[in-house]
Amino acid sequence: MEFSFSPEEQKLLEEVRAFIKAETTDALLAESEELGHIYGGKEGRKFIKKFASHGWLTPNWPAEYGGLGTSATVAFAIREEMARAAVPLIFVAAHMAGPTIMHFGSQEMKDKWLLPIARGEVEFCLGYTEPQAGSDLAALRIRAVDKGDYFLLNGQKMFNTHAHVADYHWLGTITDPDAKKYRGMSLMIVDLKSPGIDIRPMVTMAGWQTNEVFYEDVKVPKENLVGELNAGFFYVMHALDYERMFPLAIYARLVDEVIEYARNTTVDGEPLARNPVVRQKLAQLKIEIAANRHLYYRLAHMLDHGQVPNYQASMQKLFATETVQHITNTAMEVLGMFGLLKKGSKWAVLAGNTERYYRTSVVETIYAGTSEIQRNIIALRGLELPRK
Amino acid sequence: MNYDLNEEQKMIKESAHRFLAEACSSDFVREMIEDEKGFTPEFWGKMAELGWMGLPFPEEVGGAGMTFLDLAILLTEMGYYCVPGPFFSTVVLGGLTVLEAGNDEQKSRILSEVAAGKRILTLAWLEEGGTWSPEGIRLRAESRDDQFLLSGTKLFVPDAHVADTIVVAARTGDAPDEISLFEVDANAPGVDITLLDTLAGDKLCEVVFNNVKIPGANLLGKEGGAWPVLNNTLLKAAVGKAAEMDGGSQKALEFAVGYTKERVQFDKLIGTYQAIQHHCANMLMYADTGHFLMAHAAWKIAEGLPFEEEASMCKAWVSEAHRKLVALAHQVLGGVGFMEEHDLQLYFRRAKTAEVAFGDATFHRERVAQAVGL
Repeated sequence: MEFSFSPEEQKLLEEVRAFIKAETTDALLAESEELGHIYGGKEGRKFIKKFASHGWLTPNWPAEYGGLGTSATVAFAIREEMARAAVPLIFVAAHMAGPTIMHFGSQEMKDKWLLPIARGEVEFCLGYTEPQAGSDLAALRIRAVDKGDYFLLNGQKMFNTHAHVADYHWLGTITDPDAKKYRGMSLMIVDLKSPGIDIRPMVTMAGWQTNEVFYEDVKVPKENLVGELNAGFFYVMHALDYERMFPLAIYARLVDEVIEYARNTTVDGEPLARNPVVRQKLAQLKIEIAANRHLYYRLAHMLDHGQVPNYQASMQKLFATETVQHITNTAMEVLGMFGLLKKGSKWAVLAGNTERYYRTSVVETIYAGTSEIQRNIIALRGLELPRK
Repeated sequence: MNYDLNEEQKMIKESAHRFLAEACSSDFVREMIEDEKGFTPEFWGKMAELGWMGLPFPEEVGGAGMTFLDLAILLTEMGYYCVPGPFFSTVVLGGLTVLEAGNDEQKSRILSEVAAGKRILTLAWLEEGGTWSPEGIRLRAESRDDQFLLSGTKLFVPDAHVADTIVVAARTGDAPDEISLFEVDANAPGVDITLLDTLAGDKLCEVVFNNVKIPGANLLGKEGGAWPVLNNTLLKAAVGKAAEMDGGSQKALEFAVGYTKERVQFDKLIGTYQAIQHHCANMLMYADTGHFLMAHAAWKIAEGLPFEEEASMCKAWVSEAHRKLVALAHQVLGGVGFMEEHDLQLYFRRAKTAEVAFGDATFHRERVAQAVGL
């Protein structure tokens, strides 16, 4: 066992940190906050293209596809740094679609997509969820009909969060409606500027936008099919094991801010930090953050040892997101009435972060597989409990 | 970063697993709970032969020169099998304290006998106040000529009734942390030991010292300077207990998961019900997080790095996570787990015992609060 980074890893991380510090602008942070830290906005693209030119967006990819050939551990650590800095850190192309293309795509597909993805030039949007297909992804209805030269798509997606800022849709679509469950879905890459696509905003309680996407007779070139026809469900499950990777660092920073606040705030003549209940609660958050960090780096460790994270990814997602809600709720508790004040409000403390994160944290235990789905996976795959 | 055991550690784990499966059956554990001594010379001798008693001590004193992380791996297996007897008292509490506080002569004399399985140690710390703070130590050691006179009562001293040597923490001055450590012969005149009846049947004792004469040479370390040593022992013992709980968690999880695959209700295996699946998922989450926090703290100790924050994080988390895990196992097993004949009750008893030992979650969270600048 070894719980530290090597000197080379540390050096690289210091460079990343220095870059982020030097290149982060107020405009970038504002945009990142507005978009919920997804990638695709104007400022984000400017920043990430420069960032990616060092190979840091996809550090563990091989050099031929724009990476540095580092360990997954380094990739995870870089992502942790990005999260701490609150810059864009949710990448569909680089962290979800890219690895799937690398594993299952044809050589042509790899040659066409991987380098632009690694350079941060293109961003994808996950296209899985539909009104009737949330946790039950196999209930998809959107249809792609084989028309010889192309697929013709009709149907609707929902809660597709990157759609209004991304370039391409990473779309799960039914290609064989008569097939058994899980056997009739394919993945394809769709240009979001294609005629027949209509993107409509859905505004969340966090303030940022997600989308409905309507498809009406949209033509998709055959070459945009990912891997094998009708194998999409398998690829999606595989990709979800990569998607579930939650560095927590933005929320961890909130804990540090609240600790600082407690040290500098006097309540009834005593520093808040002296209150034993406050001390207990904040210490507990630090412990949970430390526990999450192990679950997080275990995933990197597995990837670096040739294993695909499975229930371990579910556990990390579950633990991280429940910790997030514990953090935001505790922060609200410690701040009391001041926690209610929004950014910019008179008397607001911690730049209104507590109020904002309290709202954003609601969705954490829902997207990318709810806590209940994660517990199912841990029980069925991790502990092999009976299915029937 | 690396989350795998090395080859040597895998060997410790496997050989301990193999040996204890045979030598430490449920019947044996139950017998030892009833037994006044709480262990047998045969069992003790076999563990000594395997080199366990000297595992974390330097080779110069007959030890194996292995690390605290290696010891933690052994303790995990011991926790899995509910190993009875004074191993923890001897090696972790007594042994590591002597190793840190003792001079060369004391270390070599005491630890070589420990490593050979010929000397049982324990540490007398707590008193009526029941706290792990230096202020809680009120038993006085009065300096008289070239000896010390010990008077007072120690409580919750594990395995004192079978120990050869009791390492005693005593007050030698009025400043809060003016504490000294003494090597005391458990059979010395004036030492009076009473076994206390406990939840888990582990052997906690009251030890009364009535003007016990201690030769000056039996002072371990500097007079009045023992608090930093004791504090380190406390934290190492906390991590060691967490390692035992780690093993206990594995066993309780096995009980629960095994049962979900055989118990049928409403015509289906209960493992098919999501309520049960989610209990089991939570158990695994408690087990994995606890394991990593324990391993991290043990690794820090092993590497000679500062370990205060990690050790307290570990004990704070594992104390509660392990208890919750066992409670979920009880819920999954239903009435069967409540039966005295099912071994889950042994783990339930030990879980609470380990939770309050060497500082509970509240105690260690306060330590974490200090460490993070609160």
